[in-house]
Parts: sequence; C-alpha cells; structure tokens
Amino acid sequence: MIPMIRPLGALALAALAALALSVALGSVTLPPEEILAALGGRGEALSRTLILELRLPRSLAAFAVGGLLAVAGALMQVLLRNPLADPYVLGLSGGASVGALLAMLAGFGSVLVSGSAFVGALVSTLLVFGLAHGHGGWTPARLLLTGVVVAAGWGAVITLMLAVSPAQRLPGMLYWLMGDLSHAGTPWPLLALLLLVCLLVVPLGRSLNVLARGPLQAAALGVAVRRLEWTLYLAASLLTAAAVTGAGSIGFVGLVVPHMLRLVLGNDQRLILPACALAGGTLLLLADTLARTLIAPEQLPVGVITALLGVPTFLFLLYRGQ
Amino acid sequence: MARFPRSALTALVLCGGLLGPVASPARGEVCAVDDTDREVCLAAPARRIAALSPGATELVYAAGAGERVVAVVAYSDYPPEAREVASVGSHTRVDLERLVALRPELVIGWVTGNPAEQLERIEALGVPVFYIEPRSFEGVASAIERLARLAGTRVAGDAEAERFRQGMAALAERYAEAAPVPVFYQVWDEPLMTINDDHLIGQVLNLCGGVNVFGDLERLVPRLDEEAVLAADPEAILAGGMGEENRDWLTHWERYPELTAVDRDNLFFVPPSLIQRPTPRLLEGSRLFCEKLDRARERRGEQGS
Repeated sequence: MIPMIRPLGALALAALAALALSVALGSVTLPPEEILAALGGRGEALSRTLILELRLPRSLAAFAVGGLLAVAGALMQVLLRNPLADPYVLGLSGGASVGALLAMLAGFGSVLVSGSAFVGALVSTLLVFGLAHGHGGWTPARLLLTGVVVAAGWGAVITLMLAVSPAQRLPGMLYWLMGDLSHAGTPWPLLALLLLVCLLVVPLGRSLNVLARGPLQAAALGVAVRRLEWTLYLAASLLTAAAVTGAGSIGFVGLVVPHMLRLVLGNDQRLILPACALAGGTLLLLADTLARTLIAPEQLPVGVITALLGVPTFLFLLYRGQ
Repeated sequence: MARFPRSALTALVLCGGLLGPVASPARGEVCAVDDTDREVCLAAPARRIAALSPGATELVYAAGAGERVVAVVAYSDYPPEAREVASVGSHTRVDLERLVALRPELVIGWVTGNPAEQLERIEALGVPVFYIEPRSFEGVASAIERLARLAGTRVAGDAEAERFRQGMAALAERYAEAAPVPVFYQVWDEPLMTINDDHLIGQVLNLCGGVNVFGDLERLVPRLDEEAVLAADPEAILAGGMGEENRDWLTHWERYPELTAVDRDNLFFVPPSLIQRPTPRLLEGSRLFCEKLDRARERRGEQGS
C-alpha cells in the first residue's frame, strides 16, 4: 500500500489546489480576504452569495462529475478490454440525451430534464444489457457491438429531434449536448456516489487486475468472470448516468484520464481507480474554471476546454512513453 | 435531497422577497402578471433591472425605465444607450456571477429563449423574475404597460403602449379592405425558413393585407426547400438578411425569372430588427411591410397595361 500513497497524495493536493483556484476565480473579481470571509460565513452578503451559492457548488459538482466519468471510463476499458472505450461508447449518453431533449422540447424545468436524462440513461443501459445477453453466450465484443449500434440509433434520434425543434430551443439543447455545468444542482449526491464507488472498487482491484489480462487467465485464477463483468457494466453505467444527469455529456474526460494515468502510474487498478477519481475531477474543475472565465461574461462549453487541455497533455505523455 | 447551506442573510433576503409584501402590504407595492400567468409583486418599484434578451431590453426602455437597466445580454443594440449597459453574457447562457454582482431587483426573462434552469436559479437566489414573450400586437403593448408598472414609470410606459396600439390599429383599419397579396417571408436562408400565420410576423403580413403562402403550415417557423417556394409562386418576397442592409437573400431568387415576384421585381428587403423583435419598433416594421405590399399592388396595374 505504501507506494500508492505518494501518487494519490500528490493528486489530492492538486485537486485541492484546483478547487482553491476555481473558488478564487470568476467573472467577478473578489479580494482573497473577502473570499475567506465568505467561506467562513462572514463578509458581505453579495460575496457570500457568489462564493457559497454559485461558485462552490458548481466547483464541487465539476469535481464530482469529472471523477465519476474518469472512473466509469477506466471500468469500461477494463470490461471491454478496448483502449478506445469511454463511458459513452455503449450508448448511455445517447439515451440520456434523448431523455433530456424530450423534456426540453416539452418545455419542462431543469429538475424534470435531469430526471428524464437519468431515465434515458437507464433505459439505454437495460436495452444494451438485454440485447447483448440475447441467445447464447455473451462476450465483451458482443456487448461492445450492441452498445455501439444502440449509440448510433440514439444519435439518429438526436439529430432528428434537433432538426424538428423550434429554433429558439436549439441553443439550450446544443449546450446540453456539449456538456455544461451551469445547470448542475447540488453537488452532494454526486460527491457521495464518487466516494462510495472509490471505497467499493478498491477491494475489487485485484480481480480487475487479473481480468485486464484476459478472461481465461482470470477464470483460471478463480475469478467469477461473468459476474464481475456484469457488475462492472452496471457500476460504470450508474456512474455515467449520474454524471450525465448532472452536467450533460461532457466528452473526453472518461477516455483520456485513465490512459494518462496508466502511462504515468502503470496498470494497477487498485491505484488507477482512485487516481482516476482525483485526476478526472481536477481536470474537469480546471476546465470549468477556464470555461466560465476565459471570455466572461460569455460562457464556453466545458467540453471544448477539456479536449483543449487534455489532447496536448495526452499526446505528450504518449510520445514520451515507451 | 441535500441542500447547500445558505447563509442566514441570503435566506432572510429570500423570505423578504417572497413573504414581505404579503405580511405587510407596503405602500409602494407593485404587482403585474407575466406571460407565464404568474403574478410578480415587488415591495417597491424596481430601481435596478436586468433584461436577459435584446427584445426585453427594448421593451424596458420603451416602458420608460431605460435608466434603471443595469444588465443586458449580447446583441442588445437598441436603443443605442443600451450598448453602454453592462453585459452578462448571451441570452442562451447567462453569467450568473456577474448578474448577481450587479444586484438587480428585477430580472426580465424570456420564456423560451433563456435556459429555464438559470432563471430558476436566479429566483432561488431571491431575485424575482418576470417572464415575457409577446405573441401578439396586444401582447407587446401590455408587456410595456406591465413593465412600466413594475418599474414605477407608468406615465411614460402607458403613453408608449397607447402610441403603439393606436399605430397598429390605424394600419389595421387602413388595410382592412386592401386587395390580398400572396407573400413569402424569408426568415433565414440556410436552412430556408419562413413563418406561419400564428407568428407575430405572420400577423403583420395579414394586417397589411398580405396572404402568407405558407401560413397554414403547422410549425411556427417551418423549414422549407426552394421547390415549395417555386410551387407556391408568391407575388412578393420579403426578406430580412444577415445584417441590416444585406440583400443577398433576395438576389438569390433572381435566378428563377418564372416566379411572379421576380418577374414584377417584387423582392423587398425589410431590416430584420424592425420586424423580428416583439417590440414597439414593430410598428415601424409593419408600416414598411405595408408600403412594400402597396408597391406590389401598384405593379399589378403596370403589368396589365
């Protein structure tokens, strides 16, 4: 356990620094002492509103969503044994998007949009689960193909809905599809889920390490492969559904953060999964801070920034790696 | 559901905003019903107003409360003074921090244009939101009156609303018996879009004695292909364009000389800001529309001779 403490400690420090930065920066400039006073529940009413009602909940939600996506991506990559897997590869974000867009078309408020997105994500999960189960045995390859085709179907439905939507609703829908944290509500459920998942998957880490080497070896070593794979699928789906419900489909974090960490830390799932939670959260936190301050008062979609930050970092690590 | 801890003072402000007027009806209290049928009451006329769409900005200025506007969004370019007001982002994505920092006492939201969750958040922070989205001439006039009531500028607002109402009524009277002109109004070029009879622009067309060739379509802003326009063969084509003077969309139609509108040179440009915003400038836009249709009627005679 000792060698894990250093990288995780460093990542935790980075996450705290990113959180401090994110709370300190905004389109309204506040002096540091005012921010500290607001955090302590003192100071002016306005700065308390800005810090406690607007910035801090959004920052925590960004961290939680980033962490959930990165962990979900890492689990999907182990499950499908495919480096291109990300949390959305099995059509989950498509289902969530269709749910959310339907609610937006009907003119519902934000709570129903989130609820509808969550239902869409679950419907997609069960659909893929049921179809991949099908007749005969199932394999990760079959699951992947089923998921990819279901995702393509959702994609067509989304395009159709965008094409027939009234023009004034389009910007809101596009922002949702691009991923956006401004409608993330209270961050506590997401943070709790992230913590819970970290605590639950670490004991599974050894089995996951074996599974990553191949199902035959895993079975030979006494791992209940089928059950572990379905657990992974449902866990990753639940995490993704929660993240997408909170912030729309933010791309890139779930694909690249696990790979980045593997390049630096090696492929031990016991270390990678908690590290993903911290690093994914930090990346999204920094990206969201930039998204809301770069050209303030205009707001950028956070997915643009995650890719712009992540792509060069990843390419550098890949180029440097063996 | 866990809630984020609110500071005591914000909670106080919130309660004050919601319960204050009920508990002790202050003498300066003002109320108005918004376009979502909710009654919005303020303990006193709002001195600091944030308008979250270019149209809302125009309406607040028209209501005589221009000096009280402390926040606008991108493209709020009319009246020219509005350009000097602090911007809080775009109507599709408002910078809430900057908005809150400007301490508005009233936010004018756009029912379908602003993101619902942001308007809900603003209300949760204790700032009342008045939703508007005029869908008729009377809706424009009454929006001006209602905003004037909330801003305590009824004298100026009621006068402006009345000017608009009478101007539109005069047009309606003048064109009540006018010979119908089949018209195609082009909202956008790619994709090609028009409006149906329910749309405010469709209502202007009907007011001037125009007959919208796509008026019966189901959707408020239908998307079309060029074939549909050729088949409908309108007598006049009216279009806005990118910017206030760009006639490119109209010259595009000149490649079809078999169109009656092209044959008679009834391709008319109408500055989009005069006709596409539900504001008092619609009166000016409507007058322009009616003049163009009159010109189309005159050209009928020229053709016959």
